Amino acid sequence: MPKLIPQADDLSRPFWNGVNQKKLILQHCTDCDKLQYPVKTNCYHCSSSDNLNWKEVSGRGYIRSAIVIEDGRLDRRMPDQPYNLAVISLDEDPTINFYSNLPGVEAYKAPIGSSVEVIFEEVAPGQLIHEWTLVH
Amino acid sequence: MENKRIIISYDIDGTVVPGDPPGRISIAMINESKKLGYIIGSASDRTITDQTRIWERNDIQMDFIVLKHNLSTINEQFSPLAGFHIGDTNMDEYYAKDAGFEFIDINGDFDIFWAKLLSGALM
Amino acid sequence: MITEIDNSWKRDSDGLGVWEHRGKVAIAGFGHSPVDRRWDEVSLDTTLGAYAILACQKAMDDAGLKPEDIDGIVCCPTTIAGNSGGTASNWAPRPYFDPPFDSEQGITRVNADWLIQQLGLHNVKFAPASAPTISEMVGLASQAVGDGLCTNCLMIYPTGNLTGRYRRGGPNASDMAPGESQWTFPWGNHGGNDFINIFPHQEYCRKYGGEHDDVAPFVLNQHRNGLMTPWGFNYQNDIPQLTKDDYLTSRYILRPLRLWDCDRPVNAAGAYLFTTSERAQDMKQKPVYVLNHSEHNFPFKTTQPTLDEIEMWTDKTAERMYEGSGLTASEVDIFNPYDGYSIMSQFFLEAFQWHGVNRGDAFAFYDGDITVEGPHPFCSSGGNLGNGRTRTAMYTDSIEQLRGTAGARQVTVKAETALCAFTTPSSGGWLMLGNSPD
Repeated sequence: MPKLIPQADDLSRPFWNGVNQKKLILQHCTDCDKLQYPVKTNCYHCSSSDNLNWKEVSGRGYIRSAIVIEDGRLDRRMPDQPYNLAVISLDEDPTINFYSNLPGVEAYKAPIGSSVEVIFEEVAPGQLIHEWTLVH
Repeated sequence: MENKRIIISYDIDGTVVPGDPPGRISIAMINESKKLGYIIGSASDRTITDQTRIWERNDIQMDFIVLKHNLSTINEQFSPLAGFHIGDTNMDEYYAKDAGFEFIDINGDFDIFWAKLLSGALM
Repeated sequence: MITEIDNSWKRDSDGLGVWEHRGKVAIAGFGHSPVDRRWDEVSLDTTLGAYAILACQKAMDDAGLKPEDIDGIVCCPTTIAGNSGGTASNWAPRPYFDPPFDSEQGITRVNADWLIQQLGLHNVKFAPASAPTISEMVGLASQAVGDGLCTNCLMIYPTGNLTGRYRRGGPNASDMAPGESQWTFPWGNHGGNDFINIFPHQEYCRKYGGEHDDVAPFVLNQHRNGLMTPWGFNYQNDIPQLTKDDYLTSRYILRPLRLWDCDRPVNAAGAYLFTTSERAQDMKQKPVYVLNHSEHNFPFKTTQPTLDEIEMWTDKTAERMYEGSGLTASEVDIFNPYDGYSIMSQFFLEAFQWHGVNRGDAFAFYDGDITVEGPHPFCSSGGNLGNGRTRTAMYTDSIEQLRGTAGARQVTVKAETALCAFTTPSSGGWLMLGNSPD
């Protein structure tokens, strides 16, 4: 089943535009040279709001942790149950993490610690989301 | 009688009268299904102790009492010709299908199902 | 008559020193409504409003006060079913009833204005509306009395539940993921504390050793304590004691999070009467003094908090509570942290180092004697897991333990101080109580 469709707002629109171009671009504070995700109005580290730009990242990470959703609350995803939900840490900055359903990985079989790379999945015409798949 | 190889599984909460919230299926109806020769039992998230206590208090002898997610284990015990699980949530539907049973939505086509149960027309 | 306030009352930063009103504010009464699984959508004497009125009346009676004595009221204006609850959060759009149940107020919502009218609280001069949950309300009431904004302050926490599976429907039934949910919904995360805490809990098991199911003894003990709490859901509904086998054979929700790691939504209200220590001396019950309160709201660095962050946040809140109360870990007798999901409690236990439990020690501690009769009566209240999601058991039990009126739950060890909270590691608040103002 298709996943839920993210609704970009003024703040997040550059991020989702990047995703729709199959690029993973994160906010980058040029004052303190830190990346952040999800998008925020200020830099999490130095609170600056004036120099939050965008930077494309490698899209490489690893599986930090994983659970299996057997009884979730989101109607649109119920037919997919049970399915994996993993936390992916970004190689460039392991304190930045993403969620992933690990496409291609059977439920209950998420290999913790394994390397992954970003891919992009269509959730609606013209709307992609970032997903992560095992690096073989 | 073919009913003797047909399983009728009841969820409790939201499905049967002693449940919380109370459902539509009365104790009399459950008794009727037993008299008609069906293999009857409950499959609920309530603990086995709790389920057992409900049936004892209502003087019903169930053929099986299982946790909802273990409904499929009934197949090995009874080798049924068919199974039906009556419930009210998506998890009832999921575990019914997991057991190879037909899911009967208490808030859906239950009346049609029940009429067939009474007339022996489930198969 | 809502009183506008800002956030300056909060004790939500480091290095604030001992609370300026330490020992000068007391809790002189409490009251609980019955705890129902849900409102039956018919009976007007069991609505959230009716139960809030009942809880307030009991709290006033417990303190020996009358409505005209109340000059402050702190009430959560929303219910914890929340806007995402679909049928679980709103009665509307359905036909209402005759006044005072002719709107959401009194049925699924209870605000200060409604209570002031229903209870005839004509002398209220302080009635803020901004505290979202009980974790902040207890601090707000304490600070308000301490600051002299009111003398006798009723604090009410109503928690609602209607028919249908909890928090199904509403935004959870949509195909879209707006706002904050754009970062979680697409992947199946509905954004609750179950998700927030289960990942760090897994990291915990990998880092310190152990398995998820090692929380079982704690869950069982919460149920045991709940069955000794006469006002709680489990006691009132004769719920059988949970066994280890029940826990280990229960189904998963978010594997490894099991059914019995989750609390049970209910429809109920609890109320507490805060007053000055001076006034409390003349009231019916033995005063329970407020020694400190703190609030916290740590922003998430990224999508999913890590174990390191959870431990950092809880360490900070522990430091603040000990600093503000002037107590140390060894001086806390009763410890009632939140158990809304079972996996949270150990983060608090280890942060506060109650009974010497350090990081990584929780599972071994759970496996020992944590009963109320024993030397380490952890969570003597039974929390939400033992009583239903009222989020009040932690506070009520602490008061009862310090009064010596906890009945079957009364601990056999010393009970002179108590630390209690409804809170998550990232946001909420704590309360330190004592049976002496010193």
